[in-house]
Amino acid sequence: MTTLAKGKINDRQNGGGIAALVVPVLLLLVAFPLLFIVLQAIFPDIGKGSLAEPFSLVGKTLSDERLITWTLNTLKLGTGVVLGAAFVGVPLGLLRGLFRMPGGALWDVIFTVPFAIPPYIAALGWIFSLQRRGYLEQLLGFNLGQFLFSYWGVVFVMTLNVFPVVYFAVSRSVASISGRYLEAARVCGASPRVGLTRILLPLTLPAIAASLLLVFAMSIEEFGTPAVLAARSGFLVLVTGIEQRLTDYPIDMPGASILSIILVLLAFAAFMGQNWLVNRRDSGTASGKPTRQEQMELGPYAPLAVGFFVLVALVGTILPIAGVLLTASTRTISGGLSLSNLSLDHFRMLGDNTAGALEALITSFTLGISAAVITGLIGVLTALVTVRQKTFLARILDFLSLIPNTIPGVVIAVGLILAWTQPWLPVTAYNTPWVLVFAYCGLLLPYPVRYATTAIRQLGTGMEDAARVFGARPITTIRRIVIPLIFPSMLAAMLLVFAVASRELVATILLAPLGTVTIATFIWSQFDQGSVGLGMAMSSVAILITLTVPALAALLTRGGKSRTS
Amino acid sequence: MKTFAKFISTAAMALALAGAAQAADLTVYSAGPGGLIEKLAEGFKAATGKEVAVFQATTGKVMARLEAEQASPVADIVISASWSTATDFDKDGMLLEYTSPNAEKVPDFLKSNTYVAQGISALAIAVNTKSGVPEPKDWSDLAKPEYKDLVTMPDPASSGSAYELVAALTADQNIGWALFEQLQENGMIVPGANAAALNPVLQGARAAVFGAVDYQSFEQIEKGETLKVIFPTSGTVIAPRPMMILKSSQHADTAKAFIDYVLSDEGQAAVAAAWLMPARSDVGAERPLMSDLKLLSVDPATDREAVLKKFAEIFASN
Repeated sequence: MTTLAKGKINDRQNGGGIAALVVPVLLLLVAFPLLFIVLQAIFPDIGKGSLAEPFSLVGKTLSDERLITWTLNTLKLGTGVVLGAAFVGVPLGLLRGLFRMPGGALWDVIFTVPFAIPPYIAALGWIFSLQRRGYLEQLLGFNLGQFLFSYWGVVFVMTLNVFPVVYFAVSRSVASISGRYLEAARVCGASPRVGLTRILLPLTLPAIAASLLLVFAMSIEEFGTPAVLAARSGFLVLVTGIEQRLTDYPIDMPGASILSIILVLLAFAAFMGQNWLVNRRDSGTASGKPTRQEQMELGPYAPLAVGFFVLVALVGTILPIAGVLLTASTRTISGGLSLSNLSLDHFRMLGDNTAGALEALITSFTLGISAAVITGLIGVLTALVTVRQKTFLARILDFLSLIPNTIPGVVIAVGLILAWTQPWLPVTAYNTPWVLVFAYCGLLLPYPVRYATTAIRQLGTGMEDAARVFGARPITTIRRIVIPLIFPSMLAAMLLVFAVASRELVATILLAPLGTVTIATFIWSQFDQGSVGLGMAMSSVAILITLTVPALAALLTRGGKSRTS
Repeated sequence: MKTFAKFISTAAMALALAGAAQAADLTVYSAGPGGLIEKLAEGFKAATGKEVAVFQATTGKVMARLEAEQASPVADIVISASWSTATDFDKDGMLLEYTSPNAEKVPDFLKSNTYVAQGISALAIAVNTKSGVPEPKDWSDLAKPEYKDLVTMPDPASSGSAYELVAALTADQNIGWALFEQLQENGMIVPGANAAALNPVLQGARAAVFGAVDYQSFEQIEKGETLKVIFPTSGTVIAPRPMMILKSSQHADTAKAFIDYVLSDEGQAAVAAAWLMPARSDVGAERPLMSDLKLLSVDPATDREAVLKKFAEIFASN
């Protein structure tokens, strides 16, 4: 490790030391389970600790004629959701970052909501709202079932779920660009349009590209929504194929591993594309002065912009929540929307700790916070290495930290089980809560890494150079300069991690230590047993609490800032 | 580095709060219903003082976990919703021989040296009584115009019992694949596993489930949903739920005691309370029992993959 560290010291800062710290952690969280997925694909009996009959199942899986259809469908879905999220998220983010929007930070809270609604819950909520005799038909007399159970329905529901990723990345990135560039352009007589196309868009391009890549990776690995909505119209994707191989008896784990590797390759191609796009320019734009850019006035366009925000908020936030709340507060589903059928029974059952509801909440939030803190820290350290160094090691780190986002939760889970149940291990995380933390960290690391990378890329090196000149140790530089400057971005990333980890379903079901119930496994088992109302009541509470965390975080950071200044 | 250490210790503390898995005397992997296995675990603890750790999921997920854990098995007992898991495990020599003294009243076809039924479910037609359709009497009624676009069915690829139903009906000379072709033409959808097939019927988006798992529908009726369970006149299939002790178990004696408990009067009463048919023929229930049903048999030599493929072909065009 010392030789590694020595070899990588560069003249800017001691990045090699950080790399030496981060590499083993990433190897443990990402490479270790992945290695076993690859081994499983090659050696069908690795689970028994045997290397017999290598490659015996690869040909059989690859010659499945459905494979091409699934792969094309996966690409079609990913592209559709990326376009949808760009169409909704980029304009929203630009408007929020550039202009003084009436409502201001309130919109940030509202647009966190879609992300706080687990996708499978949102999909179910939409089904209950839009299908034949759903809430829409009960209230307004028509239904949109045809649309919902189709490719477009899936793109619609998934876009509403992921557009906040783009919105937040774009608005943060715009807000952190020093206003001086735009001001300089204006002084030099550039029209606003030129300012937008020649300065703003190029500078925010890394953030847009990075967030759209995340969206693409999230959509090709999403399971619940396509499974619930599109399977009916025969639109099957790779992940549905993987899940099928893992849950339809007899289990075909090697087949699932091979399909997962195809998914990873798809995402890898997207990653290379994004990398090429971002690395063409290296834009140091933040001077380090915490001057927030002067936001422009919307003027006569204000009603139009506000109307757009309201529309997205209505469709993306209020309708899904309404679907969830209505289902939670009707006594029976067949009773429909009538006054006599309204009841708080399901919430009361939660309060009575039915089926361990309260423990599930505590467990999930503890796990979510742990994952957020750990990934946040690893994210900053990884980004410091990958942005400031152009070494081979840095690229490996970058790839390692992104790769999990391209792997379905179910596959990471199987990889973790395979890896951590190997008989030769002296200690194992398996069957302890740690394996869940590992799974969440492994799955969600890309968020903090992407966010930190974008933030650090926009940070000039001048401040760090100055600190070094004044004799600050690298750790001091990171703690006193880098972290405070990128903190808003990191907080956003960590909140995302928290929101997703505290409700992650697929990996949790397979990995949860015996007797450990999380929010997601609670909801899922309620649905599975036909207690949809109780499941939706839990979803409502979980969404509510997930939402109060950002608010608390905002309060705490404000308090922190006033103390230091 | 101090910061890093601080973060790690905070996380460690948080995890300690989350509570590590309790040391259990016995580990049971069970297919649903979740309430039943928890009740059995509590009852067993009250009777013997032994702590039971439970992993409850669908049969498919239970199998995935078992398969992944092959290198160091955790489960002592597996309860599946699909009889074929027990016969397959038995063939692979994975099961411990045990015949419970309480299994005496379990019919012979529901037990062997290595496994025994916990309870039995049957497939039926579940109808939403508010949907205004005539009450179906037999499977073929659901292919009639009155049920156009109003029928759902669990996917036989993910529901073991639905597969048995397809295998039994298509093997019948008088029914065959023609029934499923008519159902497809009549707009029947196959939205997923059992719960996924039932949900659209609850809200009224669809009127009836072709092959609903009976105990799940009885549970919904108990909750006040407007459902009715109809056992078709031409007969139906049952899905016995095998319990088995894995040979790898380190707690064989406790495991045997647990099997005894599930087959005891108290255990079988819990099974009946979950709307399943008890495995023991001398324990009653407030629902139709096997003796009340006309049973269709499935030839064990049926080619499962061929049946599933043919089914998928028929319904692929939906």
